[in-house]
Amino acid sequence: MSAREERLGWVDALRVRRPRRRAAAALPPVVYRWDLDKTYLKSDFESLTKMMRVPFERAEDKIDEPGVVALMRALRAGARAEGRRILVYFVSASPPQIGRAIREKLALDGVEIDGIVFKDQLQHLVRGRFRFLREQIGFKLAELLKARLAAPAGAVEYLFGDDWESDSLCYSLYADVVAGRLDHQALGDILVRLRIDPARLVEIRGLARKIPTVDAVRRIFINLERRTPPGRFRNFGARLVPTFNYFQTALVLHEEGMVPLAAVVAVGHSLIDRATYTRAQLRNSLDDLVRRGHLRDDEPVLRRDLEESGVLPSTATQGSWTQRLWRRLRRRRPAPKPLPAKRPVVIDYPRLVDAWLASGGRPGEAAS
Amino acid sequence: MGGDFAPEEIVKGVAAASLATAIECVLVGDEPRIQAVLDTLSYDPAHIRIHHAADAVGMQEAPREALRAKRDASIRVGASLVADGQADALVSAGNTGACLLACAREFRILKGVRKPGLASVYPRHTDLPGQDPLALLLDVGATVRCDAADLVQLAVMGSVWAHRVSRIARPRVGLLNMGAEPFRGGDVLAEAHERLTTLPAIDFVGNVEGSDVAKGRADVIVCEGLLGSVVLKFIEGITDVVNDVASHAVKQRFVWRLGMRLLSRGLREVAHFTEHAAYGGAPLLGFEQLLVKTHEHSRALAIANAVKLAAKTVREGVIAEIGAGLEGVRA
Repeated sequence: MSAREERLGWVDALRVRRPRRRAAAALPPVVYRWDLDKTYLKSDFESLTKMMRVPFERAEDKIDEPGVVALMRALRAGARAEGRRILVYFVSASPPQIGRAIREKLALDGVEIDGIVFKDQLQHLVRGRFRFLREQIGFKLAELLKARLAAPAGAVEYLFGDDWESDSLCYSLYADVVAGRLDHQALGDILVRLRIDPARLVEIRGLARKIPTVDAVRRIFINLERRTPPGRFRNFGARLVPTFNYFQTALVLHEEGMVPLAAVVAVGHSLIDRATYTRAQLRNSLDDLVRRGHLRDDEPVLRRDLEESGVLPSTATQGSWTQRLWRRLRRRRPAPKPLPAKRPVVIDYPRLVDAWLASGGRPGEAAS
Repeated sequence: MGGDFAPEEIVKGVAAASLATAIECVLVGDEPRIQAVLDTLSYDPAHIRIHHAADAVGMQEAPREALRAKRDASIRVGASLVADGQADALVSAGNTGACLLACAREFRILKGVRKPGLASVYPRHTDLPGQDPLALLLDVGATVRCDAADLVQLAVMGSVWAHRVSRIARPRVGLLNMGAEPFRGGDVLAEAHERLTTLPAIDFVGNVEGSDVAKGRADVIVCEGLLGSVVLKFIEGITDVVNDVASHAVKQRFVWRLGMRLLSRGLREVAHFTEHAAYGGAPLLGFEQLLVKTHEHSRALAIANAVKLAAKTVREGVIAEIGAGLEGVRA
């Protein structure tokens, strides 16, 4: 029994060894697409000086977001245990010059990836097209569509971004183009209004025509690194899950059946050990996710399992037995159940883009 | 979930505290309503817990009847959470009577304490170098009448609070009275004066008159609840009067309007200094648990400051020190 399995106890050790059994043939390949800065790395862009420092940082200077490494390792381990094919890609609007340090950082963290794409800023600089240096939607959408064409048939996708730039809008556009919910004309109109690079627009139109229509994107996770109010993302639908930490992300992925309980436990312990989270804070994070309607199935069972794994504080040991009994009798009133989240039917993109443009492209503002 | 601007401003205050501090706040109230407000705010969920309570005592309701009828009132549930040790302190902007009554029912009184006291800080003129610009007045409404022993206990509690929270090395304690002479004010105040004079634990500066309240003679002013409440409301009323006078002056003459415009920045600073929101709230002293009562009109800033004040009080172990201080009085 490994050290981690000892920590989890024998019940969870069994869970680690035996994730949900499914017929391997029924499991489609899974693709995880990640943004880099503020999603995987805690990049500091708050000042020009700090931004200029980023390309010169070494791998060991780069700091990952708390819990992200544990989650990425768990995603691969979970897929392998189920015999499912897994592909992990990064799409970043950072320049390719930082690629070496990033690859070294990923190797240091023990994160295996299948590809990474950077934005070639040099061509914009050389041609004097400075407006497109910060433009992300066109670049990312084109790269995502290209990657989709290369993805294994029937692959499902999970996308990970943050609330600093345009990930929520970009990922939602991609998901709806792939699903066939957004026709080419409407997509073109949106991209024109977003003033993306005209060359990219032509490329995206071409790619969108080639994409086989399938509802592939299961979830879009937005890491609320800036603590953007989660309600601002409501108009993106229940497919998009704003999360405050990777424990919340792991919980949703566990509910989706993508990672075993041990993965949630590993991310929780990572936050406790490396990010000064307490067990009570993790419990509060779980409660928050439940209240926001992103977690529904077997939540009391999950809570009990996490308590037994030592990730959440045990509710069974607070006070004497008389106090606990008294508490139960006095406060046995049902808290209202959160409303079940509804799957998005159609996102009102014209309205989103209006708000997006009005807010100067600040993430989340578009949804308000 | 009490106060004139609940739940929005309460939740905003807690959301701000969750981002700025490591304090864990338990919001007690209607869970869906609280979450609906949280959804519109920047917050850190790791520092926020919500405990559902379906009812709330209204600001105009009679406290005793309301608490009897509403067993699931948020103030009652909140007080019981603190009493059970599931929270360290209670902060409320709700119905003051209901707050005091809920605490009296749920909290345990400190050993030897006869009557708890509600303490409030207020801005005052400083007479001495390095003096705190805020003084402490207690009791401001937890009691109505007090005897000499009660006043002595209030003096000890106030002195410990000023020492630990306001960081005054040796707080100067005064007894609010109608004259400076020791025999003034009747038997109760004369006896209290005599007992306070002989108490080595506190720096008693004697009687203070109404005109001394806003001066720097004492850092802690002790009085019975009826008197303290009147004084506090009078101080609050002065701000409104000054605002009215200024508004009137502005309308009268152009030169006065110009003068007000020139003074506006300074007036804003004075207004900020006298604003209750900046000081957090009034602690209820005398229980083993802590209540910080904020103004009914409290907005987010006041709530956030009250949360910080409550956390600081708990962190500094002020309640235990008050208990020790009162032991000294009994000995």
